[in-house]
This record gives sequence, C-alpha cells and structure tokens, in this order.
Amino acid sequence: MAHTIDVSVVPPPLKVGWSSPQSTGQTVSPLVERKLIPAGPAYLAHVRRAVHKLTFEEHDKHEESKRLANSNGDGANGDHDYGIGDEEEPEELLSLDPKEWKKQDHYAVLGLSHLRYKASDEQIKIAHRKKVLKHHPDKKAGVAGDSNDDAFFKCIQKAMEVLTNAERRRQFDSVDPFYEDLEEDVPTAGQVKNAKDPNAFFFKAFTPVFEREARFSRKQPVPMLGPFDASKEEVEGFYDFWYNFDSWRSFEYLDKEINEGSDSRDDKRYTEKKNKSERARRKKEDTARLRQFVDLALGVDPRIKRIKQEEKDAREAKKKVKTGGVNGLTQKQQLEEAKKKAEEEAKQKEEEEKVARAEAKKAKAAAANAAKKARRAARGDDA
Amino acid sequence: MAPKSQPNGSAEAPIEVTSTPTIVGINFGNSYASIAVLTKEGAADCIANEDGERQIACAISFHGEETYIGNQAKHQLVKNSQNTITGFRNLLGKKFSEIPPNEISVSAPVIQHPEIPDEPAYKVQVLQAAPIPLPTTASNTPAASHAATPRSEPTPSTRYLTPLEVTSIFLKSLVQSAEDFLGKKINGAVISVPNWFSDAQKAALEKAASDAGIVVLQLLEEAGAVAVTTTTEVWEAEGISQDRTQLIVDLGSSGLELSLLSIRQGLAYTIATLSDHTVGGDYIDNKLIKFFAKEFTKKTKMPLTVAPATEAQDKRAEAKLRLAVEHTKRTLSASPGAATCSVESLKDGLDYTGTINRLRFDMEVRSIYEQVNTKVKELVSSAGLDLHEVDEIVYVGGSASLPGLDETLLLGFSESVVTPFTVGTVVGGGVGDPTTIVARGCAIQALLLAALPESSEEEREVKSAFANGSTWNKAAVTSKTIGLLFPEDNAESELGGQWIPALLRETGVPARRTLRFDVDLGEGEGEKKVAFEVWEAKEGVKTENVKRAPLDDDDEEEEEETKEKIVEKEAFLTALSLVAKEGTKEKGRWRTKVEVQLLLGDNKSLSVTAWEIGKSGRGEAVTASISV
Repeated sequence: MAHTIDVSVVPPPLKVGWSSPQSTGQTVSPLVERKLIPAGPAYLAHVRRAVHKLTFEEHDKHEESKRLANSNGDGANGDHDYGIGDEEEPEELLSLDPKEWKKQDHYAVLGLSHLRYKASDEQIKIAHRKKVLKHHPDKKAGVAGDSNDDAFFKCIQKAMEVLTNAERRRQFDSVDPFYEDLEEDVPTAGQVKNAKDPNAFFFKAFTPVFEREARFSRKQPVPMLGPFDASKEEVEGFYDFWYNFDSWRSFEYLDKEINEGSDSRDDKRYTEKKNKSERARRKKEDTARLRQFVDLALGVDPRIKRIKQEEKDAREAKKKVKTGGVNGLTQKQQLEEAKKKAEEEAKQKEEEEKVARAEAKKAKAAAANAAKKARRAARGDDA
Repeated sequence: MAPKSQPNGSAEAPIEVTSTPTIVGINFGNSYASIAVLTKEGAADCIANEDGERQIACAISFHGEETYIGNQAKHQLVKNSQNTITGFRNLLGKKFSEIPPNEISVSAPVIQHPEIPDEPAYKVQVLQAAPIPLPTTASNTPAASHAATPRSEPTPSTRYLTPLEVTSIFLKSLVQSAEDFLGKKINGAVISVPNWFSDAQKAALEKAASDAGIVVLQLLEEAGAVAVTTTTEVWEAEGISQDRTQLIVDLGSSGLELSLLSIRQGLAYTIATLSDHTVGGDYIDNKLIKFFAKEFTKKTKMPLTVAPATEAQDKRAEAKLRLAVEHTKRTLSASPGAATCSVESLKDGLDYTGTINRLRFDMEVRSIYEQVNTKVKELVSSAGLDLHEVDEIVYVGGSASLPGLDETLLLGFSESVVTPFTVGTVVGGGVGDPTTIVARGCAIQALLLAALPESSEEEREVKSAFANGSTWNKAAVTSKTIGLLFPEDNAESELGGQWIPALLRETGVPARRTLRFDVDLGEGEGEKKVAFEVWEAKEGVKTENVKRAPLDDDDEEEEEETKEKIVEKEAFLTALSLVAKEGTKEKGRWRTKVEVQLLLGDNKSLSVTAWEIGKSGRGEAVTASISV
C-alpha cells in the first residue's frame, strides 16, 4: 500500500455557493531535468518502475507479494525456519506483565499466532530461540532507557515453559483466548434460512467451525463436513462421530490458584474442590455447547433434506413399479421402513437413557457429596 | 569418571536464525574512516576496530619490521613521522604533476616514484625480515656450504608505496576488522567517496579495493550515504516531513563539503554543492594547539612556537599536542563541562595539563564557525533559495559534532529547521551521530544492493542503475508546487482558503502522493460536500523589516528582519468535489476523513482522486485528471 501522509491541517467548511471554476486549460509547468543520487530504496523503486514499466499500483502489488513471501520465510533467505516468519510485535505485546502470565497469549508472545495449536515442537523451539536472541536482557544493555527491563523476556520464558510441556500446552490450547472469541460467533439457523444461497452458506459457515472443534478430538482423523453430494453413509458417519465426540478439552488452566502460603489445609481443600467442580461444570457446558451446535448443523443440513428427497423419490418410483403389478417389493419396502423406524426409536431411547444416566450420575455425586459433608460435620462435632 | 568422548563445546552450533548478507559500509575519509555492519536486527551499526576505535585514523606507519595501521600509526607521527603515511586518499588516482608541491606535510613526503613515470609515491624505510635459517642436519649442525653465512638479523631496505597500494593495505585492514567482528567473510562493500572525486580517482579507489580482495558493490557519494541514512524509518520517526530540503554540512578534518539536497519521499538529488579546503578540523586543531602552547608558555616561561613550528623540538611538541587535542575536542563535543588536555614532556621534559571550556573554545574557533556560516549562505543563495526554505540540517564529520557550530549556524535559519542537535540524536551514539552517519548509510545501501536479484535481463538493468555513469538516474522534476486549495468564506489569507501543498516543487516524476486529513463540514445538517481546487503555486520567502519597540526609553528603535513563507497561486489545474456521507458530529460540528491521491505521470498528466474514509473503509472515489 502506498504511503499515506497524515496532514494535521483541518480544511474549513466549503465556501457557500462555491462552484468549480472554469478550466483554464493550463497544465503543469514544464519539467526540469535533474540527476538523482543512485541510493536508497526509493531510488530502487523508481528505477524498477521505469525498467519494468510498472505503474504505482502494479509496483505496490509486486512489493506486497514479495514482502509476504519473505514474512512466510520459506527458506528463501537460506535458513529454513519452518514457516515461522516474522510477526509484528505491537506495543501492548511488548509491555506484557510477566506476573500476569496466565492471561498472556503464549502463541503471540513467541510469534506463532498464525500457527497456534498447529505449531510443531520444532517450530516452537525455533520461534523461542528467535525471540530470545532478540529480547535477551543482555541485548538491551547500553540502550537508552531502563536497561533492566526484562519483562518481555520473562514472558517469553513463561510461554516456552507452557508450550513445551505437552500436558500444559493441552491445557492452554483448551482455553486458547484466540478461539474463545470465535466460539461465541457460530452461525445460527436464522442466518442459514435468510442467506441468499442457504446451501452454499451452510458449507461456508459450518466447515470452519467443525475444523476448529476437530482439534479437541481424541480420535484422529476427524470426519469433516464434506461436500454437498456426499453419500448417505458419509453424512451419517459424520453425525455419528460428532454425536459421540470424545474431547480431551479440559479446564485446569482456569483454576483459581491454591494459596500455597496459607497453612490451613481446609482452605486448600476448599479451593481444590471448587476448582474441580468448576472444571466439571465447564466441561459439561462445553459438551452441551458442541452437542447444540451439532444439533443445529443436523437441523439445517441441506444434505439430510436431499437424502430424504432421494429416498422418497426412490419409494415413489418403486410405487410406480408396484402399481405395475409386483406386490412383493412394497412389502419389502414397508418392512424396511418399519425397521428404520425401530432403529430410530432405539436411537432416541439410547439418547434418553444417556441423559438419564448422566442425571443419575449427577444425583449420585450430589448424594455422595452430601454424605461427605454430613460426615465431616459429624467429625467436626466429634472434635 | 568415565572419559568424555568429546571435550567441551560439543553442543550443536546454534541455528542461524537471521540471514542478512554479510556486507560492510565503509566511510573512507581523508583523515578518518569508519566501518558499519548490519546487526542481527537488520539495523546498521558503526563498529569499533580491534583497538576499540570507531573513528579509525587513515594512517599507516612502518617501524622496523612492524606495520601499524589506524590510530596506532598516528602516534608514530611524533618520533617516526618520516615512515608514517597520512592523507593518502586525496592523492588517489592523481598524477605526480597534479599534486601541489607546496603542501606542508607532517608525514612521509610525497615523491616521484623512481620507476613509474609521473606517479606519486611514499618512500619509507623498513626492515626486511631475516631469511629463514639454514636447514640443519641430524647432528644439528649446519649443512656444509661454500656460501657465506647469511646474516641472521633483518636487513634495512627502502620501500616505495603508491597511494593506491597504501589505500589497498588500509582498506584490507578495515575489512579484516569487520570480518573479525562478524566472524564471517565479507562478501560485499559500499565505500563512500567525496562529491568532487573524478572518474579517474573513483577508478583508482575501485582498483585499490579489488586489490585488497573487496567486492565493491557501489562507490557512493557521501551526500548519497547521508540521504540513505536520513530517509530510513528511524530517522523519519522524529516527525520530519518526507518532502524536505536538506543541507548537509560535512566538516571533516581536511575540508568542508556542503551539499543541498532535495529529498522527496526518499528520492534525493543534489541541488548544489560546495567544497572548501581552507576550513576544517585541522584548522580547529591549529587554533587549539596555539591556545595551549600559549598557556604552556605562560605557565612554564618556556617559549613554544607552534603551527607552524620551525625548530625540531617545537615540531615534536606540536605533534604531541596534535594527538592530545583530539581527545580534548571529543570531550568538548560530548559534555558541556571543561575539557582537559594533558601532554607528558611537552618540551624540555616539562609536562603540561590545561583545561578549556566550551565558551572559551567557541571563542577561539569563532572565525572558523563564521567561515562555515558564510559558505553555507553562499551555497544556499547559489541554489536560488533562502535559508528559511531549508527544512533540515544534517552534520557529518568529527568536527561537525561540536555544538558551537550548530548554534552559530542556526541563527540564520528559520525556527522550525530540524538538526540532529535540536532533536537530541547526537549524543550517546544516537542516529544523528555525525561521525557514523556516512558509514551507516553505506551499510544500508550495501544491504539493498546485495539483495538485488540478477536472474533476468531487466533485473540486471535495475542493478546497473546504481553503477557509475548510468543514465537511469536522469529524472524530470516539477518546477512548481502543486497543492490543494479549500475555498473558504472570509478567508484570511490572500489565497482565499486553506492551502495544503501536495506535490512540492522539485519532485521527480512519475510521482504519487496520498494525503489523509480531517475536513470540517460546518454545523449545518443536510447534504455535505467536500470540494477543493488544485492549483500550481509559487512558493517563496518574504523578508520584511519590522520596527521593534525599544525596551528602554533610551534605546534607539531597533529594526528586525522577519521572514515569512509565502504562497502565490499561479495556474488553476482542476477541481474536485465529493459528497460526504460518513461525517460524524464532534462538539456540534461535522467532520469527516478524506484521502486525496495525486498522480503525476511522465508526460505531465495529472490525475487527482479523492475518497472518503468511513468506518466501513473507503468510500466512492472521485477522479479528475488533466493531460497535455
């Protein structure tokens, strides 16, 4: 993009009754010949435009594509940096407080925000090294200002600590603030209905969400939404998988910190327990959220309609054949339908059971909890 | 403990994460040189050589078997001046007959080369290393030989060195320092040359560099190197306009170089240059030496006549003082307090220690400052400009670091002129440090050139545009300023509205400028319009004599000259209006943001495009264009 000059002058309102003056036919005064100093990037750009006969816009585009190629850093400059590239470091990132490390975006700190959970261990290692080379406190010595300011360096170390430990990285990935915002923003049934082309909109809006959620699956690979003309088996398999989604997502990262300083064991246990229940609550919410989303997808999936229509057509065709005389086929069809109905019923039942089971489990847990409480109270009384 | 399979340091070599090409920028002055390399962050930085000197003296001295290069060689000037070579750069590529014979030299004299006709040379006495001892036999006795036993000590001999050879040795040592610093082989260098270097001199320098095994990417004029440094983002972050007229004051030790540059969004060209070899750091040294010699005489009652000295003893004292005042000058530039000058055994075994403060120093060298000042005025008026039309002054060279010079010069310029001193980037190795600015510019330029691809014909053509004598650097520039005029009710100025200059005069074509600004839309509701006229205008400076009321009753009325920038519109080009839809109300008045882009083509065709910037991005664009 062209460089824009910000002018601080604010022009006044237009003169009342102004109209464009008549053109006088005057043009720009004659140009004068000069000799430029062959130095600097601006001269290079000037010569490039002249040699390649480019306009300003074309040159801009060319430079932009080159810049992008460079920032992707695909070994163009000799060393392979595994596609880490150079990310910008805005002021707010550099002024992070290492004490607030739980709130920081570890990927952004290491310059991996374009990769996030996809970053490999090797990439994390290289990105860390890159950042350390740039922000090590030793490098700041002699620079004007507070040379003891190693806050961002501490942030880098913390980010590395979290991201190199598989367990802790999963915990952070579970609550990655970047995706948290996206999760709020899922398509609704209304949007699909009101879209100009509901069919295309469905795939456009739902595919990225499923792709995003897939990272939490314990089973990999995860079946994706697929195209419109996917077969019935594929569509069914897809929904089967997502209704039985096995997620590793956990919410330990959001735990309240247990006050190590306090001597009271009760205090600690209380916090621990609270954390545990909070985790469970969040997990349940998350499961419900996903289920709701899959329900929604199933509800508006144009393929289901298509499949149904196809089946209906097939039936009708058969009916036509039947009216032609053969009776056995209809019977067979009826049988099939009955079977299907039974299957569906069974499925529904199963789900109901599932819910009931979960309910029972909860009740059980509550009972156990109450019992525990009672016991403790009793113990307290004893003491 | 089990024996280690490997000694220490078995760790894998760190992965090279940055891969800037290993290049070096060399500021090659007549008295001092400096080298700049690229740091890992990609910024150019001036580095110190192995002696810890960022300002490396251009001197080579031969003492016995030893060769001293740089500041060590300068110290040899006291006792070994006949074998010490200084000031060789200016003799590069010159014939012996072209060199003025009367120049007083403190170092080895320039003589006619004994073998090559019309070639200057330095004659130095060196000791040739002793030959290798004869091979010994198994019984450790010399092998039998009829020849006389060779002498085991080195033999004195005479060496003749041309300036080109001296330069080659010196440049090699500079590049060696940079290689030691980086730990990598240097594969390209940009070397600065003064503006007045002839083609023969440039060719000689190029030959000297290639003899030293240096790949010269470009010989860059010093003004060009300064332009490169001053158009970097770091420099322009100081809130300076990208379109400006820049005055470069290069006060080196052997001369003054003045250049007036027009910088238009990084594109620079020289409006006028002036060089004067009768002012310079050496003359400042002379003044200082005379001052301290007088003080010495006052203190010790020992007569000492220096600059010029006649007696041998005085000559040596002068050489000692000359070395010592270097330090005094640097202290004066760096801190406002008093600076000391101390010399052991200045004359007849008497030591001298004295101090001088800035005020006293400025008084001593006032005449030199004034000389620079008159030259600056001469240059600016020769370019047909007024001092008030200069937007920025940049200082180059060790002597230009003196704050007194800046203070003297500033009196003549407008108050808004920017110098490294006013923005405070001189001290503490800031970006405006006059001693490193050229070297850093060379390094940035070297990086630019090293990254140029050469795979196609056109790319080679682009690269050749940086070579000496290329025709690509010819460019047409505008002769008048083109700007926007916003007509206004009850306008105060004679123009009849608010004037915003867009394409300043002396802008090379093709040119593009994009301006962004807020527009006041007034208080009224309803449809709001933004409209402006595009005019070509003449800019100038009006000088007025204003009588100032006397402070006291006794004082006479004083006359003061005030200068004011004026704009006169000359030719109406076109007009443009667009409807503002995205205005927002602020304190009862409507405002909106507008961007205007001006494109001036090679064939003088001008197209003006304007669009509104709202929350949703760019609004509809309106274009007006004129062509020949």
